[in-house]
Amino acid sequence: MKSIDEIMRGDHERLDALLAASAQAIEGLRWEEGATLLAQFQHDIIENHIAVEESMLFPAFEAQEGGDANHPLTSLLRKGHKDLRVFFEEMAEAISARDTEEFEGLLSTVQAILKTHDAKEETELYPFLSKAFPENGEAFTQAMAALKRK
Amino acid sequence: MSEYRGCELPEDLFYDLDYVWLRPEDDGTWTIGVTDPAQTMSGRIQKSRIKKVGVHLETGRHVATLESGKWAGGVPVPFAAEVIARNEAVLEDPHMINVAPYTDAWIARVKPDDPQRVLDRIKTGSEAIEALKAWINRYDVQCMRCAG
Repeated sequence: MKSIDEIMRGDHERLDALLAASAQAIEGLRWEEGATLLAQFQHDIIENHIAVEESMLFPAFEAQEGGDANHPLTSLLRKGHKDLRVFFEEMAEAISARDTEEFEGLLSTVQAILKTHDAKEETELYPFLSKAFPENGEAFTQAMAALKRK
Repeated sequence: MSEYRGCELPEDLFYDLDYVWLRPEDDGTWTIGVTDPAQTMSGRIQKSRIKKVGVHLETGRHVATLESGKWAGGVPVPFAAEVIARNEAVLEDPHMINVAPYTDAWIARVKPDDPQRVLDRIKTGSEAIEALKAWINRYDVQCMRCAG
């Protein structure tokens, strides 16, 4: 049975690969393919990955930390999610406008944000939750799968 | 000038209560920059991209993106606007933002689409300062003056 840590790290890798595939398509001026891959990435990260974090993981972490919904860690991570949503929209707009320079600039920023954001989650959030809820990996996997089916 | 946890918070500016400060100019345009606590949270800024003059931005879109070794993020506009000017000096030396966030390191000047709606999403005075203090607490920021 996989831990929360392993499941979420694996999802980061899957999402990074999806974003890289979209970027590669844009680099090759395959705009439609790039747009499709970016839309898939956007859906998976917002509707699945971030949704799981904000509905399950952050509240669980905050409850363990004394019920503080304004905990600095989860506040920072929620803010990261909010900022990323705007960047994803801007990337989609750059593709629609066939603006390679704009897309590449946004991609660089988004990858930099994801690098630090994901590292924070992987070092501070997921290990903490895996330790706090060692038996919950299976239930968590099922919840993730249910969201993916939506 | 208010100060909280070492962070400077000028009372005469307007704020989006997140990263951004704004100053109204006599010609109806607004100058935009990032706050002292925001530049502190970002760390030493090494890279900046600012939208070109003439670009139109919808509410919430980024007029600039900034990157440091440990952080990256955008500078959103709190109202739909056109970019009228951008600070070329900040493009050349993004670290200026860490040194003079409210003065020399302004980022862009924008012309709002609808001047009547500008104040919808920005605050000033004591209300803004209290909200920014809460922001500083939320993200656990401690500002230190940078010598350059």
